[in-house]
Amino acid sequence: MIRRRLLQAIPVIILATFFVFGLLKLVPGDIAVTLAGDNATDARIAEIRAMYGLDQPFLVQYGGWLLKAVQGDLSKSLLSGEAVLTSIARCLPNTMLIVVLALLLAMAIGIPLGILAASRPGGWIDGFVMSVASLGVAIPNFWLAMLLVAWLSLSMGWFPATGSVPFTENPWESLRHAILPAVALASGGVAEVARQLRSSLVEVLASQQVRTLHAKGVSPASILWKHGLKNVSVNLLTVISLLANRILAATVVVEAVFAIPGMGGLIVNAAIQRDFPVVQGVVFVMVLIVVSINLLTDVLYSVLDPRIS
Amino acid sequence: MSHDLARAPLASMLDRRAFLALVGAAGAATLAGGSALAAEPKRGGTLRLSALANPSSLDPATGGSGFDHCYLWTIYDTLVEWDYDTLKPKPGLAKWSFPDPKTMVLDLQPNVKFHDGAPLDAEAVKFNLDRNRQDQRSNVKADLTSVEDVVVTGPLQVTLKLKNADTALPAILSDRCGMMISPAAVKTHGAASDRNPVGAGPWKFVSWADNQKVAVTRNDNYWRKDRGFVDAIEFNIIPEQATGLRSVVAGQNDMAFALPARLKPVIQRAKELQVVSAPTLYCIQFYFNTKRKPLDDLKVRQAINFAIDRDAFVRATMAGLGEAATMTLPKSHWAWSEAASKLYPHSVDKAKQLLEEAGLGKGFELTVGSYTDQDSVRRAEVLQEQLGKAGIRLKFTRGTVAEISANFFNQGYDMLLSAWTGRPDPSMTYALGFDKGAYYNASREATDELSDLIRRSRESEDLKERAAVFDRIQQITMGQALSAPIAFQYELDALSPKVKGYKPDLLGKPKFEFVSLE
Repeated sequence: MIRRRLLQAIPVIILATFFVFGLLKLVPGDIAVTLAGDNATDARIAEIRAMYGLDQPFLVQYGGWLLKAVQGDLSKSLLSGEAVLTSIARCLPNTMLIVVLALLLAMAIGIPLGILAASRPGGWIDGFVMSVASLGVAIPNFWLAMLLVAWLSLSMGWFPATGSVPFTENPWESLRHAILPAVALASGGVAEVARQLRSSLVEVLASQQVRTLHAKGVSPASILWKHGLKNVSVNLLTVISLLANRILAATVVVEAVFAIPGMGGLIVNAAIQRDFPVVQGVVFVMVLIVVSINLLTDVLYSVLDPRIS
Repeated sequence: MSHDLARAPLASMLDRRAFLALVGAAGAATLAGGSALAAEPKRGGTLRLSALANPSSLDPATGGSGFDHCYLWTIYDTLVEWDYDTLKPKPGLAKWSFPDPKTMVLDLQPNVKFHDGAPLDAEAVKFNLDRNRQDQRSNVKADLTSVEDVVVTGPLQVTLKLKNADTALPAILSDRCGMMISPAAVKTHGAASDRNPVGAGPWKFVSWADNQKVAVTRNDNYWRKDRGFVDAIEFNIIPEQATGLRSVVAGQNDMAFALPARLKPVIQRAKELQVVSAPTLYCIQFYFNTKRKPLDDLKVRQAINFAIDRDAFVRATMAGLGEAATMTLPKSHWAWSEAASKLYPHSVDKAKQLLEEAGLGKGFELTVGSYTDQDSVRRAEVLQEQLGKAGIRLKFTRGTVAEISANFFNQGYDMLLSAWTGRPDPSMTYALGFDKGAYYNASREATDELSDLIRRSRESEDLKERAAVFDRIQQITMGQALSAPIAFQYELDALSPKVKGYKPDLLGKPKFEFVSLE
């Protein structure tokens, strides 16, 4: 199954990079003008176009990029000359750290909250948890991020306000830098995990199967933990894998607020300036990650529920 | 420098000189030329800066962004330097003279070495100037079009043979063209010289991680001992300026520069920070495409200039941290023209009358290109309101700088709301922005008289004579209303209390050579 899914990823990557390349070429704006700089002349701009092959037909440009990419060469930034692979190798760990941390936070807080709410549906705990969850979904994460910085970094001085430290260099400082961005990213996730878990758990707990268990005299705790959670685990997994992809996308904004040199900043800068090798490289890697997450989810499905193959 | 003194200029809007006098009175700053007003600044420490953009290249010849200079000045020394307050050229690595109008002689400082140990001699200068003039990758060819040939006339002497008189050359050699890179390094690295810069400046290049950090460290063999006090400089690249400022408030960086005026209250709330503000040549303006209807009509262009309330614009969009622009040079500049400055006092009635004469009394619409950032949107709103009073409706198209400016200069809109960043010599501004065929002149047209004057502005070395030519140039560009300058944006910087000796410059591209840390 894994090999088949990996093969399926190839057309996805080609389509995604082709689509993004097309978009970059369709929107007006010309990197040659940026490259020509403050003293641009018409002649210089034409010269630069020829130098970088920007005057070639669309398909030739895309084909050239793809041919190199499949050989593992993601080329260089047109603007700064840095190898795209180098940029990505530096930025990806920063992004992945906050994404993984945010995901762990969302689960660590969201799952207990969801169970708590489902154990007494309609009770005051349920009401409270669900209102908090609604708030979590409603608050934009960039706004929360700014509040967190203003309060916990600037006023209290507990956390750094900006930047990041590689985990391999100093794990403690690295986590200290990552915690606020992760909290900002996780807020919506907590709410989502809690709400989804609650609703599927309530449904399971109201089912005939559970009524039978009650009738057999199984303890409520055992029903919840052994039977209830097992039944909703597939649903939960779906929620979490969707969440992982969404948090990955949300890093674009949160990274900007915390000045984290990550994938988000990399692609935004490159897209604004039409630095297409960088955009293509980031899209390429992001598609790989999303495809891997989906693949991992599918594998886990079959572990959790043997009926799924 | 006490905080109150540092903030005083903001409150009372003193001019640059008064501000510097204050700083001098506080007795804590090293001023121009390293004159010993105060004790010798402390050496050592790492200066951590929040910088808002990744360099386009660290090779002066191949880069293109005006923001690069703050990096380049640390690594490269220039043949010519300028006075911080007036941008008047003065000797740097070389003293210059014009034995006749078509010959420029550069006499180099002896015993200067590049970071790789190679001598900075006449051969090295010739290599650099020829590379800047001819190399395929050079972005500065247009700056040196007047140079016919570069000849080595002594171990430390280079003679430039000119096609025509060009007294803008000293100023040009204070910018990218005058930044000397090691020929050996260029030959070794080829195109990779962009990321392996070897100069002869006070600091040596260490590393550059795109959009993250540029680091430089002290050059122990630097030829001048009166500058380059900090051991190392770290530029932490933070494009979002509010975030950059927060990094200074939180103590993670020592200084953020080129901040927008809207952040002034944030700096002031952080009580321990020093605020520095000073005039620059950065001019916010409407570019006109004078080939497009109705802007081909002089009366319409003049009406727009009359309808803009520049003082109100400075108050509304810059928190007062700016100067109303009546031409592309600020009042403190040596080539400022009094006659041109009086052409367009704010008058909606006059604007309406001109439009009436042009047959557009009932109002009309103009398409304008502009950018999506917060400050551009605010500027656009204020101008929309001001011009609206004269019946001129502005229809904005917003996008990225790359998209919108390319579109405008290729005939996409009637006007462009953007800025003109300063150049060390005013003739560069007029040659690049108003001359025939110039890229930043969207119509690509200019009268013979104007082209001739731009050429003549480079004939004399005497600033008074040159100023007289610029006076005529400005009376034409403003009289013909070839653009609508609106306001000069002041530089705004936030510094931690331990940063001493920082001095803003009129070009608005900061140098850190006199900065020390306590």
